[in-house]
Amino acid sequence: MRLPVQRWIDRWNAYWFPETSTLYLSITRIVMVATQLFWLSRPLRDHLILVEKNTEFINPQLLISAITTIFPRDLLFSTSGFSVFYWVVWVAGLLALVGLFTRVSLFVFALGTWILIAHIYSYGDRHHTEAVFVIVLMALAFAPSGKRLSLDALLRRRARKTADESDRVDTAMWPLKLAHVLLAMTYFSTGMTKIIFGGPQWLNGYTLQGYTFADAVNRNIPLGIWLGQQHKLAIVLSVFTILLETFFFVSLFLPRVAPLIFISAFFFQVGLLLTGGHDFYQHMVLLVLLLFFITPDWWRTLWAKYLGRSSPPISARPAIPR
Amino acid sequence: MRQSKVWISIGIVVVIGLHAVPILSAGLRKRVWPFLDWGMYKDSRAPGPIQVKKKRIFAVTQTGQKERVTPTLLGSTGYGLHMLYEVPLLRNDSAAAQDLFRRLNVQRPDPFVELRVESETYTVSDTGVVKQDNPVITYRAAPSPPR
Repeated sequence: MRLPVQRWIDRWNAYWFPETSTLYLSITRIVMVATQLFWLSRPLRDHLILVEKNTEFINPQLLISAITTIFPRDLLFSTSGFSVFYWVVWVAGLLALVGLFTRVSLFVFALGTWILIAHIYSYGDRHHTEAVFVIVLMALAFAPSGKRLSLDALLRRRARKTADESDRVDTAMWPLKLAHVLLAMTYFSTGMTKIIFGGPQWLNGYTLQGYTFADAVNRNIPLGIWLGQQHKLAIVLSVFTILLETFFFVSLFLPRVAPLIFISAFFFQVGLLLTGGHDFYQHMVLLVLLLFFITPDWWRTLWAKYLGRSSPPISARPAIPR
Repeated sequence: MRQSKVWISIGIVVVIGLHAVPILSAGLRKRVWPFLDWGMYKDSRAPGPIQVKKKRIFAVTQTGQKERVTPTLLGSTGYGLHMLYEVPLLRNDSAAAQDLFRRLNVQRPDPFVELRVESETYTVSDTGVVKQDNPVITYRAAPSPPR
């Protein structure tokens, strides 16, 4: 007879560690690193302006405080020190992208990205956009994300002069699962705070109109200024916002409806961008990755139906309890 | 369970658990990025006119040059400028104004001596958006203490 504790461990393993191909994880690595490296990273100039114009931090992040406790402040937070650091992170990002010394380069890139963003947020400012994305980026460093589509894999194959080793492992899905759980937590938290602090009044339309109008006027966004004048539409969108944020977590338990929830969340983020200028690009990228890789059955079915052939057998299987 | 999976499992629990820190500790709430509380746009507003104030700060130097105070000029971010200075200066907070002078004038040969806060109020009405200019709020730099 299995002990209750063992049953929980089996469930935990079945959820976090299903046996899968490493292909999705490797694509995730390439997409996320390229996104951060070429699209979303702040230019060096932004950091240097902060370094040059501030002799001290305004509200330093703990990560930055820890660094300044260990090292003299001027070692890193000077023009030359920060420039060197920035380019080291950049080179690590390039290596992670092509998959050379993948785990080490990904770890350096992820940690460096954490420090760069924490630096920006140590001068009285702080945003949510990057948080989940960079946690998942760090998780990739601890998973076999360089096992395919990487120079490491190519070098391994050449060294062995044989076909590739087995591609199926049980540690290739947990970073994507972590992204899913964290997004569910953050959406739920955002929705619940609206319900708790805003109450039913949050759905009166005036609340969403006020927020949208304020952001749109200050950022000169015509669509948002228009939306700020549409009371009935604001009521409908308020209800949609609360429902999506509060019940996004349902996608964790109902894989069949998960794609619809991911698509809804993606368009929700696009809507926030187009009407209020809220640039949660990182969430959008994660939602697309989840849409294709966490619940691949929907597109694999369509693939088989319309292209008349089955896609490679890479869907997840629960791990065998060990 | 394999050793690596044990460590990964511990890591997952820690990462999820760390999200409780900004909720439980007010002191750390703004300092533990990327572990954040996610209460965004949580407050509601009562029915009534939709209004918003658009504001910007200009600084005037001793020689009469006028320059807009931007995040780059200040060495801050847009949100930092807004929260630390734009909002307090609109509320006639002269201490914030003197702090802004101090920050702007570091190593400036031609120091700023005056701040002008310009703003307009935009109101949603039945006929569209109505714009109304507000009086300019002016702050003068406090004289430097004798050395």
